[in-house]
This record gives sequence, structure tokens and C-alpha cells, in this order.
Amino acid sequence: MSVDVQERRKFTAALLGDEAAPPPSDPSPQVVRGVALHVTAHMLTVATPKGEERFLFERTTAFWRGRDVGPQEIRVGDDVLVRCGGGGRWVVDRLWAQLGRITGTIVSADGDTVVVDPGHGRPPATAVIPYRSSGRMSVRHPVLEPGYLFDAVGVREGGTVQTTVPATTQPPHPVSRAPRRPPVRRVPRALSGIVSWYDPAYGRAAHTDPRAHAPGAAYPALDPGSDCGPDCDRSDPCLPLPLLSLGATVGVRNDDTGVAGVFPVLNCASAASRFCDRCRDGTGDASGRLAELTLPAFVALGGRPEAGCFAATMEAG
Amino acid sequence: MTLVEELIRIQPPVVALLLLLGAAAKAADRSGAGGPVRLLPGALQRPASAATALLEAVLGAVLLLTAGTAGTAAGWAAAVLFGGAAVLLAVVRRRDPQMGCGCFGGLSTEPVGWRTIARAAVLAAAASGAAVAGGGGLQVLLGLTGTQAALGAVELGVLVALSPELREAALRVLGREPCALRPVPVRRTLARLHTSDVWRANQVVVEGRGPVDVWRHGCWRLLRFSGHRNGRPVDAVFAVEVRGRRPRVRAAVSDAETGVTLAVLGEVAAEGGAPLPRTQGGAPQATGTVVPTGARVVDGPRVPRARHGGAGKKDPDGRAGEEGADGRPSGANAESGAGPVRPT
Repeated sequence: MSVDVQERRKFTAALLGDEAAPPPSDPSPQVVRGVALHVTAHMLTVATPKGEERFLFERTTAFWRGRDVGPQEIRVGDDVLVRCGGGGRWVVDRLWAQLGRITGTIVSADGDTVVVDPGHGRPPATAVIPYRSSGRMSVRHPVLEPGYLFDAVGVREGGTVQTTVPATTQPPHPVSRAPRRPPVRRVPRALSGIVSWYDPAYGRAAHTDPRAHAPGAAYPALDPGSDCGPDCDRSDPCLPLPLLSLGATVGVRNDDTGVAGVFPVLNCASAASRFCDRCRDGTGDASGRLAELTLPAFVALGGRPEAGCFAATMEAG
Repeated sequence: MTLVEELIRIQPPVVALLLLLGAAAKAADRSGAGGPVRLLPGALQRPASAATALLEAVLGAVLLLTAGTAGTAAGWAAAVLFGGAAVLLAVVRRRDPQMGCGCFGGLSTEPVGWRTIARAAVLAAAASGAAVAGGGGLQVLLGLTGTQAALGAVELGVLVALSPELREAALRVLGREPCALRPVPVRRTLARLHTSDVWRANQVVVEGRGPVDVWRHGCWRLLRFSGHRNGRPVDAVFAVEVRGRRPRVRAAVSDAETGVTLAVLGEVAAEGGAPLPRTQGGAPQATGTVVPTGARVVDGPRVPRARHGGAGKKDPDGRAGEEGADGRPSGANAESGAGPVRPT
């Protein structure tokens, strides 16, 4: 059964105050997602929910498709995520194509193919580690055995993700032997940790699927009494995150860029609850995942999806 | 006897105490907080943890009960144990920064830090002192002098300062975790709601046997019920705090079609949903108007029962009510603890 997240937020604000449930931020007009229709060295045409939109490239525009590439590597039909620069919606600052991410617990591994369980409500995902990335991947993910965690970013191809960039350093123990969170006396109003991203649309129909465009968050501490029911397989996160439900809003600030936003909780981040990692490229010292943002929300806060995460401060509950 | 000699003399009981406490904690809570045993293959971890606890118990008992060669040998063995632990804890800290030390079983969930490593080093030095003293901890305790007691207290104070487990033990014994982190069954929330004045005052608008939506917001659980008020469909939403036996309860009634909030805590809004009284933080102000003025009888036939759309008596706020045969809160379905809302 679906949940009316807007109704929940409205009632929460009515009873507990607007501070407890602030209204979500508007989607950033500078972040666009859609399907590439036409690409030249200087221009990109994208099918978006608004129709066909055209964008210009600058000499400084960066392109990513599994690695840093040129505009010629972007193909027609690619799922593209565009961040515009200059305060407008015309010039592309950075473009990512066919972004995919596999996060969760390894179910099976056979050669270069790893099947991962992303947790509550998400189908199993298959990662293929290309030969040219195997060295880099094996440094960060030395144990590709069932029960160990896996988190890597790559390019979606034919239902799998060619994982080219490890998004974390794999914990040296299987999930079943993860350390428990030390008890705390109080929950701070602002929690420090890292924020990662996920794609509820799985890269499909990025021009029409509302899930591809919704700015929102998956939260790793959903209430076991309501939304995270018997089917929920989340762990107790290593951060003292207050129990919330779908429809709650969380304020997230990117500590690297200072950009902040308020996002509704749209999903369970079961896999994120098992990670207690730091951001490899981030400035923060805190470890543990606060939330998984959807791709548009993550990029709107200045995150680089290929890095996988950014250090963040979150206010929730 | 110099102070150093006095300090060495009291090492056997101090080290024995720590060894026995560690063994007891490991035996009592074998949930496994980690530590150097996590460096071993999975199959060996549990036996290694049990063997460590046994070794600590034996060494502690020998240091306490025997003097001479056996006590000296136990002291050196304990020194090697603690010295090795200090080195291995540094390895654990480097390999897995989130892992606890496991020194006191499940109480040691705090990630390995320099305090823990320093404590192991201090204990290695103390165990060396116990070896030099030749054990016999019980005899030392029986003939304890004032100087020795003072030195022992200082040493134990240092060890306490280096022990994050004490804070964890105090949190476990003295108080529970904050309410925002505590899982609470929906059934218990409903039971608390049904015994509240806010529920009794607003029960007349509620229809159906259970909430149509349940969600959590930190220390609060919110429950939405469908109902009717003055012939119009409404949503009655209750917020129940998840702590205490008599938690705070708030209620809001809003028009199901227009979404206009009609009442919060019984306070009737002006036409068109004018702003309701709020605190500086934006939360609704308690008005106290929800406390029913009638008899507060929970059981028995005289408790008013909700009859929407009926011709029952009307209270001053326009809520329909009727003397019913059964005034029990409508929670039969809710008693199952299963909220009807599930994620997509």
C-alpha cells in the first residue's frame, strides 16, 4: 500500500509544529534528468518531463560515463543527469551518463559478476567488474564473498552495472559480525555523517518516470512499528538516528559546499544502515550514513555521484 | 617501605580484580563486541573469546589466591596478555575503526580508541608489578594499609578514567536510550492513546476499529483515524509520545475534503482555518479544553459512545454523543499491533 507522504507531513506539522516537519525544498531548476536525444560537441538535446530541452556545452563542461570522457562518448538514448552552471538552465557544468550504483550485501560472486541484495523492497542487483577496474575495485573490496558489503558506482548496461569506481572501503567483517552501536544518552539535534545516493528509477525511462526526478531521501532508521514492518531487514545504524517514517522531512546540508535542502523520506535505506564508513573524498571526520538522497537531490546539494557520498549534517525529527 | 614498593605490593589484587571483571563480563554477555579475536577466522572467534575469558579467570584467581612462584608466573602471563592486547587493539583500530575492544564483552561497544589501548598498556605494567610482588592478592587485601589503600584508589581511578565501558554500563543500568531511538510497539501506543483524555474528548468523531495510518516521528507516534464531524468526513489525527505511562497526547481534526484543520487539542478553528495558537517553536499550544467535563468512567454502560450521523445528544462543541452500551475504546483491530500502512 502506498503512503500519502504529503498528508503525513501536513498532519505532523499541524500537531508537532513546522519545525518538526518543515516543507520540502523545491526541486533545483539547475538539475535536469532525462534521455539524451541528440548530442554534438557543443550541444545536447534531452527529453525531460517538460519536453525537449537543449543545453550548451562550454570548454569547461565535464562529462562522466564510467570515467571522465568527452561529449562524443555520450550516446543517444543515454540516461543523462545534467547540472547547469552560471545560475541558469542553459549551460552544462557537468554531465553524467548512465549512472548506476550497486549498494548492499553480497549474495553471490562468480568471477567478475557480483549479485548484491540492496535490502528492503529493492530487487537484487548485479554488478559486473570490468577488467580495467578490477585492480581498483579489489583494493577497496578485497572480499567478494556472500555476507560482505559492496558499494560501487558505474555505468548501467543491459540490466547490470559495470562498476568502475568503488564508493567505499569494504568493512573487514561480514554484515553478521558488524559491531553494535554504543548506547547514547541523547540524540543531537544536528547529526554529522555522510550522505550517499540511490536511484529509485534504476535508470529506466528517466524522461517520464517521476521517481527519476523526485527530490527525496531513503532513510536508514525507519520505524519498525509502522513502515519498516516484518519484511524490513534493516540493521541498527551506527549513528543514533531518530526513528522516522515515510513522509517525514529531513534537512540535509552538504558540509563541503554548504548547500542545504529539505527532503521527504520516500524509501527505506536498509543497505545504508549497514555501512559505518567515512567519505573517501569528503572533508568530514564523522562516519555512518545519514541518508541516501535521490540523484537529483544529491546533485542539487553539490554532490558528485561518482564519488558516492559527501560529508553532511542532518536535522531530523 | 617506599611508595614504589607499596605500589608494587598492591598490584596483585588490582590486576586480579580487572582480570576477574573482564572474565565475568565476557561470560555474561557473549554477544561479542569485537576486539582482537575479530582478527581471527570466523570459526575460531567464539572459541578464542571463550578461551580468553577462561584464561583471565584462571590468572585472576591465581594472582588472588596463591603467592610465590605460581603468583609470579601468573603475573608475567597477565603482563604478556595485556601487552599483546595493547598491540592487537592498535591493529584492530587501524583495520576496523568502528570495532569495539571486547575487553568487557558486550559492554565494550565503543570503538577502540587510544584510551582503551592506554588502559591495556597500564595493565601490562601493573601485571609486571604483580609478578614482581609474587601474587598473593588476598593476603595483601587482608593486611591493607592506609597508604596502600590510597595508592590503590588512585590506580583504580586512572583505570576508570581509561574505561569507556563504565559510561555504557551506567547508561544501561540507570536509564534507557532516548525515546527517539526506542522501538515501541504500535499496540502500546494505542493503549496509551485510549487511556488519554484527548482520546476520550475526540473519540466521538472517530469511526472504524483502528487507525488508517500510523507513522513515527522521533519521540512521537502519529495515528490517523477516519471519522465524521457535523456530518462531514474528517481525519482525526492523534500524536502520542512514546515515553512514560501517561505520555503527552495531541489531536487534530481536519476536514477530509478541504484539508482545513478544524481543531487542535479541541480548540475549534475559525472559519476557513485561521491560524491556531502556537508556541514559539510552532507547536500547537495546549489549551486544556480537551478534558471532558463529564464523568471519567472508562468501563461500564454509562460511557458515551461515538455515533456519527445519529441523533444523539450534542456537546457544546457540536460533537455527537449518545449513552451507549459499551464505552470501550475502539481498539480491537489496533490491539493486533498491525497498522494498516505498509511501504510501497
